[in-house]
Amino acid sequence: MPEDGTPEAGLHILGEGGLGFPAPQRTYARVAYGNTQPDAEKARWLTVRPDGSVVAYAGKVEYGQGIRTGLAIEVADELRVPLANVEVVLGDTARVPWDMGTFGSQSTARVGLQLRKAAATARQALLEMAADRLDLPAGDLRAEAGRISSSSDGNRAITYADLIGGASIVHDIDSDIALTPRAEFSVMGKTHTRIDAEARVTGRALYSQDIVVDGMLFGSVLRRPWRGAALQSVDTSIAERMPGVVQVVREDDLVAVLADTDEHAAAAMNLLQTQWGEPAPTASTIDLPEILLSSAHDPFVTQEAGSLEEGFTAASGVLEATYFVPYVSNAPMEPRAAVASWDGDRLTVWAGTQRPFGINTELAQRFGLEESQVRVIAPEIGGGFGSKSPYPVAHEASRLARIAGRPVRVAYTRAEDMIYATMRPAALFRIKSGFTADGRLVAWECHAYHAGDRPFLGRRGSDSPYDAAHVRVTTYTSDSPLSTGSYRSLGAAANHFAREVHIDEVAAAVGLDPVEFRLRNLSHPRFRRVLEHAADAHGWQPAAGASRRGQGIAIGVDVGSYIATAVQLDVGGREVRLDRVTAALDCGLVVNPEGARNQVEGSIVMGMGTALYEAIDFQDGRVLNAGFTRYRVPRSSDAPAIETLLVGDDDTPSTGAGEPGIVPIAAAISNAVFDRTGERQRELPIQRHLR
Amino acid sequence: MVTIFINGEPHDAADPSRNLLSFIRFDAGLTGTKYGCGEGVCGACTVLVDGQPLRSCLSTVGAVAGGSLTTIEGLAPEGALHPVQQAFIDEQAMQCGYCIPGFIMTSVALLNREQSPDRAQIREALSQNMCRCGTYQRILRAFERAASPGDVTHA
Repeated sequence: MPEDGTPEAGLHILGEGGLGFPAPQRTYARVAYGNTQPDAEKARWLTVRPDGSVVAYAGKVEYGQGIRTGLAIEVADELRVPLANVEVVLGDTARVPWDMGTFGSQSTARVGLQLRKAAATARQALLEMAADRLDLPAGDLRAEAGRISSSSDGNRAITYADLIGGASIVHDIDSDIALTPRAEFSVMGKTHTRIDAEARVTGRALYSQDIVVDGMLFGSVLRRPWRGAALQSVDTSIAERMPGVVQVVREDDLVAVLADTDEHAAAAMNLLQTQWGEPAPTASTIDLPEILLSSAHDPFVTQEAGSLEEGFTAASGVLEATYFVPYVSNAPMEPRAAVASWDGDRLTVWAGTQRPFGINTELAQRFGLEESQVRVIAPEIGGGFGSKSPYPVAHEASRLARIAGRPVRVAYTRAEDMIYATMRPAALFRIKSGFTADGRLVAWECHAYHAGDRPFLGRRGSDSPYDAAHVRVTTYTSDSPLSTGSYRSLGAAANHFAREVHIDEVAAAVGLDPVEFRLRNLSHPRFRRVLEHAADAHGWQPAAGASRRGQGIAIGVDVGSYIATAVQLDVGGREVRLDRVTAALDCGLVVNPEGARNQVEGSIVMGMGTALYEAIDFQDGRVLNAGFTRYRVPRSSDAPAIETLLVGDDDTPSTGAGEPGIVPIAAAISNAVFDRTGERQRELPIQRHLR
Repeated sequence: MVTIFINGEPHDAADPSRNLLSFIRFDAGLTGTKYGCGEGVCGACTVLVDGQPLRSCLSTVGAVAGGSLTTIEGLAPEGALHPVQQAFIDEQAMQCGYCIPGFIMTSVALLNREQSPDRAQIREALSQNMCRCGTYQRILRAFERAASPGDVTHA
């Protein structure tokens, strides 16, 4: 809305912006973002326009999870309008409520709920306006398809458009408003085409790689050849004389060529004469397990019950094993790119980041601006899987555009995107379990060593869901030769891999079928439900020990959603052929079933890559296998047939569907390879260890 | 100076060695064709040259001089959809969607070559493209729906 706070015509619903998260410093102290009213902590969440169409605003971004459609479905249902009449504006700091970032599968749970309340508030306001206009009691009125009519006399009706006319009406979200009960859902829970599908199949959808603005220069930035490399000298004289080169920039740590085309910039970059300090030999791939163990610090007990000593004394059998996962690359299809444009002291940046407001704050601080002088627009984002929270190219483009006095684009090549983005931390696990002869877990001791400096990554999903009375799970932070960051489910997929393979080993040790063994040790009803559904639908054939059939199963929990995944595969030489996967997901109330299934399928394919072939190799700070010719990811010829069952209870609040699918899949595959071959696979990726 | 036709329109290029993908995206302004790897292995940059698929990231304007290119923007007349595009919508064969133009062009190229390809041919053709969101099952279904619109029974 305009900066004086006077909204344009329409029915506007305002509400708290931060949704319980701490608002950023300074944000609401004054006019902050265009969406926020002056000196108020309220933001506009929803507008019913004078023509009766609806716009919802959310600080989330669309990077493949289908959130634009999911949110539109929730709004359409509460406001009783056709889905086609709802537009959702996302990720533009000038237009949407502040948001911490799109991660942790919180979009439906938090923002979706807020928008439902906003839409229900708007519907109630329209009902009251109609009661007045039609001179009927509000209780006699009902809203349907964008109009309000009398329940007793259908001829007495008025459309939302006629109710609003040219007026500007503002309401606050009624946070206690009654939401539509599920029995009355007409849009939610049904299959819908994504509202942004057509833009995607016609090439009209604009990603940050696609942003081109008038007068824009193409920037190519000098990158360090190995982690920690120090630039000693650079001679730019040849590069400066290359065709199309406008400027060669050197500002502190930033060295870049600005040219009229991407190719001219890259060609000149290759002619910079650089000298780097001698690389200090550091570590390589094979040193990782030792580094993770020997550098471990900050032990943190995530789960503790009973006494391990007592548990292991009571056990009739004890099993100890070590598990390992390497670094893997998120490798989204769209390499990071940003375009920055200055207009006086106002900066606009297009950047495909999961944290437009975070980048907005960073840029304001870097250039000493008010946050309202910066606008970050996250257009469509070509994947990210957690890794597009940091967005260095947005900073580089902004600095270069300021120096050049013209808009500048900086885009990573594929190799740069794999080398300079963060990776999922490598991790090592030591697990010791104690159990009785009749197949009851009594003791569980797990030490999890995750590389990197962000302990919360490794803590996620580290707790055991099994009933053992004596438990201690300890996570550690270990040194990391490569830079680590968020990945789908953070460390939960790694933690689940170790735990669920170990559980399978105990089942084999006590001579029980893996499903039966898990059920004996799981009292949590939601775990039991997903496990039973997955086993049934998959056609699980109970067997103690390796049956040679190639079936495997594992369970998991992430972002509050429960999942069990069963797989069927074959092994031929060093190649694993994954034929069929059955997943049962309980994510509570499902808003968009096809969207949820699509996310589970994608998580399974992604997790399959980490199970079978993905690993970043490195030596002395250099990544050795950047690029898709050297780093194998699953292709359509690798992909299994996937069946996803949604088995949650509609009365349970919605939880995330984008991440749980990845947490059990690597263990299920490893367990199936054991079932097929009789050999345990405790290290990923499995195909490197097959003989 | 060379001239190429993109979606029926002539485009002049001063430098025949200009990378074809960059020319299409930045000079012709058709950004539906994507950069994914620059090595010809992900398929995001696939365009049709006289009906045949080409990895534009590995080609130059000069190499296709005089040729007739089709990009995702030119697959169907303004306001209409090609059956393959419609099938991708119907099967919800997309997540982030970045790879989808390339998959659609590869699919159209295969259908230009083979009226009713078998499953092995479809898998072989589509495995030339990458989707990191992992929507392969849906992409295969979309292809099959487009190839034989009458035979598809699932919703």
